[in-house]
Amino acid sequence: MNKKCICEDHYDVDEFTDEQWAKVDKIIDKYCGKPGALIPVLEEVQAVTGFLPEVVQRRVATGLNIPLAQVYGVVTFYSFFTMKPRGRNQIRICLGTACHVRGAQQNMDALEQRLHIKQGECTADREFSIDVVRCLGACGLAPVMTINDDTHRQVKAVKIDEILREYQPENDSSKEHYDVCKN
Amino acid sequence: MSAKIRTLEDLVIIKDKVDKVKSRFRLRVMLCGGTGCHASGSLKVKDVLKAEVQSQGLADQVEIIETGCNGFCAMGPVMTVLPENIFYQKLDPDDVIELVQKHFIKGEPVKRLMYTDPVTGVIIPKLSDIPFFSHQQSRVLRNKGLVDPESIEDYLWRDGYQGAYKALLQLEPNEIINEVKVSKIRGRGGAGFPTGTKWEFCARSEGDVKYTLCNADEGDPGAFMDRSLMEADPHAVIEGMIIGARAIGSHQGYIYCRAEYPLAIKRMNIALEQAREYGVLGKDILGSGFDFDMEIYQGAGAFVCGEETALMTSIEGRRGMPRPRPPFPAVSGLWGKPTILNNVETWANIPQIVLHGGADFASVGTESSKGTKVFALTGKVNNIGLVEVPMGATIGQIIYDIGGGIPGGKKFKAAQLGGPSGGCLPAEHLNLQTDYEAISEAGAIMGSGGMIVMDEDTCMVDMARYFMEFCQDESCGKCTPCRVGTKRMLEILQRICAGQGQEGDIELLEELAGDIKDSALCGLGQTAPNPVLSTIRYFRHEYEAHIYDKRCPAAVCSAMFTSPCQHTCPVGMDIPKYIALTRAGRIDDAYKILKRTNPFPSVCGRVCGHPCESKCRRGQLDEPLAIKNLKRFVTDNAKKPRVKEIPVTRTEKIAVIGGGPSGLTAALELKKRGYAVTVFESMPEAGGMLRWGIPAYRLPRKVLEQEIRDITDTGVVLKTGVMVGRDISFDQLNGNYDAIYIAVGAQKSWPLEIPGEDAQGVWGAVEFLRQFNLNEKIDIGKSVAVIGGGNSAIDSARSALRLGAQDVTIFYRRERKEMPAQEEEIVAAEEEGVKIEYLVAPIEVMRQDGRVIGLKLSRQQLGKFDRSGRKRPETIENSEFVVRADAIIAAIGQNLDQSFLSKTSNVLVSKSTVNVSESLRTSNPKVWAGGDAVTGPAMVIDAIAAGQKAAAAIDMSIRVSKGEPAWVQPPHEYIEIPFEIDEETVECPQAKMPELPADKRRRSFKEVELGYTMEAAMSEARRCMRCDGNSD
Repeated sequence: MNKKCICEDHYDVDEFTDEQWAKVDKIIDKYCGKPGALIPVLEEVQAVTGFLPEVVQRRVATGLNIPLAQVYGVVTFYSFFTMKPRGRNQIRICLGTACHVRGAQQNMDALEQRLHIKQGECTADREFSIDVVRCLGACGLAPVMTINDDTHRQVKAVKIDEILREYQPENDSSKEHYDVCKN
Repeated sequence: MSAKIRTLEDLVIIKDKVDKVKSRFRLRVMLCGGTGCHASGSLKVKDVLKAEVQSQGLADQVEIIETGCNGFCAMGPVMTVLPENIFYQKLDPDDVIELVQKHFIKGEPVKRLMYTDPVTGVIIPKLSDIPFFSHQQSRVLRNKGLVDPESIEDYLWRDGYQGAYKALLQLEPNEIINEVKVSKIRGRGGAGFPTGTKWEFCARSEGDVKYTLCNADEGDPGAFMDRSLMEADPHAVIEGMIIGARAIGSHQGYIYCRAEYPLAIKRMNIALEQAREYGVLGKDILGSGFDFDMEIYQGAGAFVCGEETALMTSIEGRRGMPRPRPPFPAVSGLWGKPTILNNVETWANIPQIVLHGGADFASVGTESSKGTKVFALTGKVNNIGLVEVPMGATIGQIIYDIGGGIPGGKKFKAAQLGGPSGGCLPAEHLNLQTDYEAISEAGAIMGSGGMIVMDEDTCMVDMARYFMEFCQDESCGKCTPCRVGTKRMLEILQRICAGQGQEGDIELLEELAGDIKDSALCGLGQTAPNPVLSTIRYFRHEYEAHIYDKRCPAAVCSAMFTSPCQHTCPVGMDIPKYIALTRAGRIDDAYKILKRTNPFPSVCGRVCGHPCESKCRRGQLDEPLAIKNLKRFVTDNAKKPRVKEIPVTRTEKIAVIGGGPSGLTAALELKKRGYAVTVFESMPEAGGMLRWGIPAYRLPRKVLEQEIRDITDTGVVLKTGVMVGRDISFDQLNGNYDAIYIAVGAQKSWPLEIPGEDAQGVWGAVEFLRQFNLNEKIDIGKSVAVIGGGNSAIDSARSALRLGAQDVTIFYRRERKEMPAQEEEIVAAEEEGVKIEYLVAPIEVMRQDGRVIGLKLSRQQLGKFDRSGRKRPETIENSEFVVRADAIIAAIGQNLDQSFLSKTSNVLVSKSTVNVSESLRTSNPKVWAGGDAVTGPAMVIDAIAAGQKAAAAIDMSIRVSKGEPAWVQPPHEYIEIPFEIDEETVECPQAKMPELPADKRRRSFKEVELGYTMEAAMSEARRCMRCDGNSD
């Protein structure tokens, strides 16, 4: 839940590279004029920028000639869009019914405990972020968790440590210093 | 590229061409490439397989195709080899070489990779023989596992687009609609609205611009039918939509697919491209002059966008909020134009309906629900996957015959149908047919087909909370009843699960539910209260346990307890503490912890039914802790402190009738509170079923005597050989004592109620064991038949062996997994040579000169489910057979023996149990009752718990009547509990309990189980994960 006003989370134009901005503009051009294009545009833009802070939303609003409020409304409505950065390793844990019945909540608790962040947040070093998904449609493998493109199946809470270690950066000796992303 | 298809002949030419190509292959390997199998590593398997086939020079003999989802996801990666239909599962890249060598080259299919029945262990090579598949009827999923979804020609080979051809070139739009109406197909998305009728409304609407939409949002957690369909057979959906568009006069379509399905989206896009290439989509389809094209619109993670008006709003690029209807989409939908929206599964059925006629579709199913339905069977079930069955198949058939039942020997509790909009169906509904109306009457909905199986370890209150949390999260916020109402309901449910439930909460939930259902704007809000209402309807007692007892029977709501083992134990033994002390080698301290809550730990350490172990979290990793065995180790090896006499500090006198575990426990608890207590026991020694029922090879006499002494040493007066009703009347006790606790047990065996049972040599199990334990001579003969399946049956059978019987057989009327006896006991009996026959029922005792000579039985088969969720045994006609028997022991049930009561006792008994209130008080205000006398045969630990509860209630009642404050338990001696857990958890099974070898022990009464060594005990104790955390 986003309890703060978006103006408190401030990201500058410099957050993104010129190359990224160029890609964003291209996407906007591609869809300009098509009715109902906002959602596909935001999806493709987010694939480039990783998240959709106000500065990106303004670009899209201006480019598509629609009010910023409408863009903000759509970004905050759909759970796929995020205004917070995601980690280099995006953990998406399924809390669908089949996974819930097979112990997904315990996996979530273990993850939050291990990384010292809550769902929807990202570690200070931007290595890991946790998101909840409600059903990836892989119920046969419950409980399911994806990290980037890897799907981990039949995950057991006691094995979470082992799984996370696979994604730890090579030279990281101090595993304890994970603070919640201040931004 | 390829020429566009213009005529029926063109379609047939391609079909024949593909057929010829495929028939050239000696073997056709269909490797499942659905999302599930991908996640399990099927892509690697495919790569290695292709390389190996290539390098072995088999590329022109062996065709390898990556198909769509096969539906058997838990066993992935899976593969089928045609034409023999051999099925392989759980494939690993390392298996490929062997597979190619043995099966492809030598022609010897590889057994170890085949499907094995989880119950019987039998290997089943052919897919069509595997129950999971053989009970299904693949109509809408007719192409699954048979075609390459990325090849339109494979689809054409399977008669693809012939339906579209017929619709566009041979039928008028109204004829198409008519055919769909004749089929009586109802929307498969959940609402079940008649599809033909919906199309008719839209066809009648005026306008040149109309839209044809496909709802592929499939937001229900636990449902993946639509995903599998799109991944396996995308063209079926496209063809259906072309036909629908023609019927209503639409030229533009959208498939709204959730973004969480990237593979489905990719395959749909490829299919669309190919369709256009071949001229079956786009302008002038199949030369008919009809134009229609469509595109995919990706969702962005909003469950509410599965609702039709919200979906349309989302396509329009706005927040997915629903709007009121009328106007209905058929009149004014996407961008205000007439629109039809149907679910993926509905669309995929249409081509077959048009091609073969609606009547063919309607030939399957029930009166009101025609055709087949695809269910996503998930949760606590052995065979997780997709199941397509005709409407009318029962829930029990799906879960048991196809799903293979509940894993781990756990009991079925409920099946959730319809996702967050649906309801749960408990065991009493296992015979319910899958039919829209029947399911709705039972309080659930068919929904999109998600069927989630829950077992005894699922908490229904937690499930209701879970679904409400989901709906609250996904609520779009537009209307107050949903936005605020679901929040309020969620708060109440969260409070209940956190142990803060209050009187009136259930009623408030019901009231809110009704209001929200009546006033919410869209289906999400209107159905959000369903799971709550349905769980209250069938599991109200579970809500009440949470609210009034602060207990979660399934040991899930962890805010109310520290460790599930302790929470599940009827007396709340502090298991993690004594295990921690055992791990540290401090056995004496562990023993002190045991005695704090249980006066019979040595007994329980040998015979308890250990419900704690069934909830041990370690069991989710490998096997539960052997808590019972550890408890026994402690009691065998600890130094037992001397018991001191407790002074009588009160004037009231309490009588306890029955010196079994319940009575003795109550006596001890009352003695602790300062009362003078007298226990009246009819047998020569106290102990109840522990002394006169359970044989010495399970519970040595000395062990029991020690624990009884620990109670009498406190000053409890024990009068043995005194039977109330014979030596002293109930009325006398009523007059001389201030309160009475009845704990006489249920010690009268149920009769068999078959002719001839009055013959000599026919025993009730209780009477047999009692007589035997009194050391009275019993000539058991050579052949003994024991009838029943509980612990009494096993005890009787094993005792009969020790009495010298040659041939002991247990006859049980159901299957082994239904036997109430503890599995360890059954196995021990079999090791000693006891035979067990299943699915048989006794019909007559054969007698000669008044003595038993044999038993006539008939064979049973399992019919429909009864209310307890077990299949009812039904007699098979003409299946009688006779077995020789010198003695017959009936162990089919036990009743209360009421002879101790007097006519004026004023203690109400009904259905052979003493009636008691919540606090165990009977209808006579001076009399309480507990244990088997109230519940019927149960576990020792239940009897002990009842004794503690009754003692507290008696004491409270006396104090309240005298205006005294409640009794305060004196503080326990402080024992520091170590906290050590392993850094890394390595999987390993329970430590085995050493036993006397079977051939040595079957004629002796020496204790069979020998107890752990110190090393074994400490190593077993190390497996405990200390779910109680570092709390003291």
